[in-house]
Formats: sequence, structure tokens, C-alpha cells
Amino acid sequence: MNFRALSRAPETRRMNSILLLEDLPEIRVWLKALVLEVFPQALISEAARVHDALELISAVKFDLALCDLGLPDGSGVDVVAKLRELQPDAQSVVVTIHDDDDHLFPALQAGAFGYLLKEQSRELIAEQLKRMSQGEPPLSPSIARRVLTHFAKMTRRQERPQNMPQVSLTDRENEVLLRVAKGFTLPEIGVQLGLSRHTIADYVKQIYRKLNVSSRAEAALEAQRLGLFRR
Amino acid sequence: MFAAVPKIPWRVARKLHVAPRGLALAAILAVAVCATGAAFGADPAVRVIAQALTVADAGDKYPLTAPAAATRLPDDWSLTRPEHDAVVWYRIRFDPPGASAPHSSQSLYIERACSQIEVQLNGQLIYSTRSSVGSVANHCARPHLMRLPASALLPSGNVIDLRLQGHALQRVAGPARAAGLSVLKIGPSEVLAAEHARREFWNVSVVQALSIVLAALGFAVLRLDSWNRRNSHLRPYGWLALCGSALALHHWLGEAPVSSASVEFIVAAAVAPLAAASMLFLLRLAGRRWRQIEKLLLPQCLLMPLTLLLAGPSRLFLAASIWNTVLGLELLAVIGRTLWLTRRQPPHEYWPMAAALVTLATALALEFAVQRAWVAPPALETTQLILIALAIGLGLRLLRGFAKALQAAELGRRQLPGRALELAAAAERKFSQMADARIEQVMAQERKRIAADLHDDLGAKLLTIVHTSDSQRISTLAREALEEMRLSVRGLTGRPMQLADALADWRAEVMARLGQANIETDWRGPDEDVEQTLPARSFVQTTRILRESVSNIIKHSGATNCKVRCTVRDGEFELIVQDNGCGIPMELDGKLDRGHGMASMKHRAKQMRGQCLVESAPSYGTVIRLTLAL
Repeated sequence: MNFRALSRAPETRRMNSILLLEDLPEIRVWLKALVLEVFPQALISEAARVHDALELISAVKFDLALCDLGLPDGSGVDVVAKLRELQPDAQSVVVTIHDDDDHLFPALQAGAFGYLLKEQSRELIAEQLKRMSQGEPPLSPSIARRVLTHFAKMTRRQERPQNMPQVSLTDRENEVLLRVAKGFTLPEIGVQLGLSRHTIADYVKQIYRKLNVSSRAEAALEAQRLGLFRR
Repeated sequence: MFAAVPKIPWRVARKLHVAPRGLALAAILAVAVCATGAAFGADPAVRVIAQALTVADAGDKYPLTAPAAATRLPDDWSLTRPEHDAVVWYRIRFDPPGASAPHSSQSLYIERACSQIEVQLNGQLIYSTRSSVGSVANHCARPHLMRLPASALLPSGNVIDLRLQGHALQRVAGPARAAGLSVLKIGPSEVLAAEHARREFWNVSVVQALSIVLAALGFAVLRLDSWNRRNSHLRPYGWLALCGSALALHHWLGEAPVSSASVEFIVAAAVAPLAAASMLFLLRLAGRRWRQIEKLLLPQCLLMPLTLLLAGPSRLFLAASIWNTVLGLELLAVIGRTLWLTRRQPPHEYWPMAAALVTLATALALEFAVQRAWVAPPALETTQLILIALAIGLGLRLLRGFAKALQAAELGRRQLPGRALELAAAAERKFSQMADARIEQVMAQERKRIAADLHDDLGAKLLTIVHTSDSQRISTLAREALEEMRLSVRGLTGRPMQLADALADWRAEVMARLGQANIETDWRGPDEDVEQTLPARSFVQTTRILRESVSNIIKHSGATNCKVRCTVRDGEFELIVQDNGCGIPMELDGKLDRGHGMASMKHRAKQMRGQCLVESAPSYGTVIRLTLAL
């Protein structure tokens, strides 16, 4: 853990180039308006299909990507994964109707920074978006439970893919996850553990990052086992 | 596998038991044989005559004119007259006992007279084993006892003439069949009769009986093998038993319709198949093949008779003894190899077998020594007895192995229904498990499908309404409709979830909402860990009730403080939401205003087979108490 990061005040990341991936035109319009409200100076690129989004990703550098999950020619998860691969500094946020962890967890595993529920009010979404850009990704109890299960499974596994690090949660991160899974809010956890809100938020970011790395390692292991890697 | 599987291959395990009984039988026989073969305590009334006058003459009466030679008895022609192959006359003189036992009858006892003999007392023929068919009868193994009729006895100077006809050693198959005469014993009939009976029993009867038993065993084993061709060592045993018993039996057959030369040839040639069968049996028993030896076996069986024929009757013994040496060495090698190969057996199986094989080897060595005349032939046919006894013991053991296998098969068969039931039950369990898992899987898929469908069509439309409507109220309604849709899908096809997880979800949502509305919240969950599960429908309904209450608190109550208590007691789940707001307004008729969604709350609770109680008063605030049976 980087001590300098701990003491740093939250700063709004400058989002200059934003990708919007949404197939419903009205929603896309609404989303664009909302984004411009939060980040007035940003340049917004729009896409309605996964294919277009992938093309855009390889061509343009983005700071933020807002991806829908249910698209006509695929899932936004692929876009999230590709973005993480090609532009590791970019943040991707999943904007979706689905609130269940069956949909959200894969996106987080692929490298999403956070998620937004589409049907919430404009103010709420704007607030969450801002908070996310300040480095506070959301974490719900069901997501926390799935993350815990995932890491428990990974530590139980004996094998390790070649050249891939094995990530595990630190005790602190585990603590945070357990409390979120019990239903405590992040401010409450901060009070309980005696940490500032931003520290907690940093932990959550780390957790997501490790989840992404771990999931990629898991995928690599599967691929290796299936003989797709020729090392 | 029905029988227990030992570490060694099951075939070998089942074969390699030699009956301790069989071995004991052989041991007893050997001991008895040696014991009775020992020098019989000399009876003073019995006179042993150890000298006779001999003349080689083919006539019917003792030739008085020819020169007689004094010969010591026992007389072995291979030593005294090696090439002679015809008749020799023996003359002895004796005086009857006289006064000591004048009325007891006297008998003459000849232990061995090979191969046929005629006895004349004072010129009178008293005993003859001459064969009627013309060839030389073979009575080499039989003891001879003849009464000396009192009428023919003279007071003194009695003459006994013995006409012995036999074959030279070179013309016979073995020294046991070579011509010779043992000592003569004259004495009281009872004494000599007892000795004769004893000798007859051990030399003839026992061997005959045993060889019949052996033949029967051989037949039985061959038949068993023909029904059940699993064990390759049974057939060699059958042949070896039959061959051996035929050889032994023939030894006792006195007269044969064929010429003695043929008889000798057959007896000599029969050793080859016997040795071959034994070697095959031992090799198969050890379980491993020895191809070099096996390849030799058949040619040898053919070659030996051929060479014997070629050697001609006059050199039969030489050729036969050479072949016997070769076969004996081969057999010894096979025995050694069997002992080596089976050395890893458990001791209680290995040592009886080893003992039997070693006995066999010693018997062979002894036989060999006798044949080479290094050792005087024992009084009785010990080696033959031992060999037959060993073979019988082996045969019994094989049969016992069969019986055991049958027993094991029976046991297995009896166990079979039980095991089949077990397997069936296990299969059924597995199947129902798989069916359950499949149902789970299918349900999850259905849920995903329904959710996807709803979200795609209904959800998209509702979402559009939410974000494009100008009216706040319509947006809110559409939003709530979307929430409802999600919950409904979840309640319809969702899995039961852990109560602890549900409580966590509720807590997060309630704290977030009330926190945003700046209402101080105190949530207290159950003290101990809860292990119960909540059906998906109940979760959904409770979520709705909770959301409704929280919405009421936020929108209408004006409260600043909210207390939530969750307890699990006696299998019941209780949720209490209390606020310090202005309470739910009364209707005109004094009942609480149902417009605050309380009717739906009560309805939902009743659907879950629980109940929802609402208490409200303006100064008191509102308490909503939900009880659910878990």
C-alpha cells in the first residue's frame, strides 16, 4: 500500500475522452446529457454496437467508458475486457438495468471500475458517477459476497498458471469485504476500522483490480488446461 | 472378483496348495515302508538258505550231468551272468526240522524271483508261475510262498529245484525287472505266511490300490479340465496321473499277450510321456513358460521310442538309462525353476509345495542311483510308492482347489443380489442427485432467460419512459415498475438465499436510503449467526414491505430517527421498523389510512404465511412488525 496514496485527498480525474456504449437511442441521449453535466469539457464518442465500440477503442484513447451490457451484437463485458487490455489507464463503468450479481460480477471481473443502475434518477447517477471519478467505486453486499467466494476458490486451488502472479487479498481488504457483505455501508466501515473514507475507497479499488487480475489468471489457467496456450 | 485377490495372480494362488494331507500320506508311507523293509527280526524256526548250486539249462528238469556252480543268494544275474537271458536251475538241499515241530507244515518263502519260477520238491512240481501264453511272465515284484507238502517230504536229504527264467539287465527297462533270486526261507507256514502277507501288501496291494486311485484322479481331473478349460495345468496332471498309474499297474500285471521284448520296450518308452507330462504340469503350475524346455518335450516323446527301437532289445537298458538320465536332469531343472519362480509365495503355501518337490527330486535321485547300481535297490519299491503318493496328494490338492473355487463362486453368487441392490441404490441416488442438479440448472437458465426477455423488452421500454418523460410522477412510477419487474423475476424463479445474506442486502439498502435522507438509523441484526434459508418469494415480498416502509418514512413521516430490529426466534423471523415521525394519519372512521400501502403490506405478509402488524400514533411514531415462519 502506497502511503502517499493514503494521505492524498480525493481528486477528480480529468475525463477528457469518454466512450458511450448504449443501443437504445433515447437512453443514449439522456446519458450523454448527464455525462456532459458531470464532465463538461469531455469529448464524447458514441457507439451502439459492440463492434463499433471495439473499433473506437483501438483508434481513440479514452479516459472513461460507459458501457451497456445488453447489446444487439454481444455483451459490453467484451468491450470492458478489451479496453482494459488496450488502455489500462482507462476506467470503464457498466451502466445497466440488471442489478443482480450474475450480470455485474463478470463485468467487474473483466476490469470494470464500477457500475451504475440505469433506472435511477439523474441526480443519483450523476452523484455516483462523480464519486466514481473521485475514486470511490460502489460495492454492494451481493457483489462483495461473490468477490469473497471467488478469492476463496482461487486460494483453494493448487495449480497456478505459468507466468501469472497469484493474487490474494490482504487482511484489511478481506475485512472490508466481509463487512460490506454483512451489509455495512462504507462510511460505517470506515468508522469501525478507524480509517478514512478514501482509504476504504482505495481498498475497494484494489479489490476490484485484484479481482480483474485474478480472473484473468483464472481464464489463462483454463485456456492452458484446454491446450490453447502453446508455451 | 468373487474370491479374495491376493497379491500374487489369482491363478497361481489357487493352484499352489499341496495338501498337507497328501504330504503326510507320503511321509507315513515312506516311514512304514522303511520300517517294514528293515531287517525283520529273525525267527529261529525259519531257516535262511543263502547258497545254491546253479546250472544254466533250459530243460524241464534239473540237469544232473552239467557242471554246477555254487552261488550265493541273493543272486543278481546282472552281476553273476550279465548276458544270460534264459533259464537257470538252482538246487538246494535241506533237512526238515524234525522233532521240534513235527506236525506243523513247512513252507518255502521266496521274496523275489524274477521273472518266472517253477519249484520242484524232490522231483515233484509244487509251484509254478510259468505263463501259459508262451512269453515270460513277470512276477518280479511278488513274493512267493509255497507249502511243502508233508507227503513229499523225506526225513532227510530233501532237494528243491528252482527253475528261474528271466531277462538280462540289458534287455529290460530297469533293474527291478532284471532277473535275480533272493534268499530262500524255509520255516513254519504261519510265520512265513505272515511275512508273505506283509510283503505282498506293501509291495503289491498298496501300489495297486494307489495306482487305481491315481488313475481315477487322473480321469477326474481330465474330465474337470474338459468342462472348464480355465487352468492349463490340469491337463498335464491328468495325463501324468494316467501314465503313472498305467506304468505302476502294468508292473503288477503278470502275463501279457505280447512278447516280453515289446513289454519291456513299452515300459521303457512310457517314461518319456510321463516325464513330459510332469514337466509340463510343473511349468504351468509356476505360471511362467519356459519355451526352450517346452519345445523339447514333444520331440523327446517321439525320439525316445525311436532310439529305443533302434537300439534294439539287447541294448534296451543302456538306451533307457541314458534317456532316463536326460529326462531326470530336465525334470530336476524344471523343479528348481518352479521352486525359484514361486519363492515369493506366502509361506504356508510355498513350503508344502517346496517339500513335495524336494521329495520328488530326492526320489528321482534315488531312482537314478539305483539304476546305476550305486545304491543297492531297497527292499521295497519305495520310490515308486513315494511318487504315486505325491501324485495322489497333488491331485487331491487340485481337486480341493477346484472345490474352493466353486465355494468362492457360490459365495459370490449369493452376495450378488445384495451387491446388485447396493449398486442399484447407489445408481438411483446418483441419478436423483443429477436430476436435482439438472433441475437447478434448468431453473437457473429459465430465470436468466425470463430476466433477459423481460429486461430486453419490458425493461427497455420502462427505462425509456423513466428518462424521457417530462412528468416526475411518471418517471417515478416507471422506475418503480422496473424495480417491481426485477423483483418479480427474482421471486418467480430465484433460488432460496441465506437469511444472513438477505439481511445484509436489506441493511445496505436501508442504510443508504435513510442516510441520504439524513435520517439517523440504528439497525440491529440477530445476535447469533443465522443459518436459515429464505425462499426467494419470501425474500422478494419482504423486500417490498421493507422498501414500502422506508419510502413511507422518507416521504411522509418526517422522522429523524429510525430503529430496525431483526430477530430469529423459535423458527420465526421478526422484523421491526420503528420511527419517531408523525405517524400514519387516521381515516375518518378511526382506522389507519390504508393509502399508505399498508393493505398491500398485510396482503404480502399473509401470502408469505406470516403477518404484518402496524401500530401508529401521532406522538408515538410508527411501528411495523413483520413476522415470518422460516
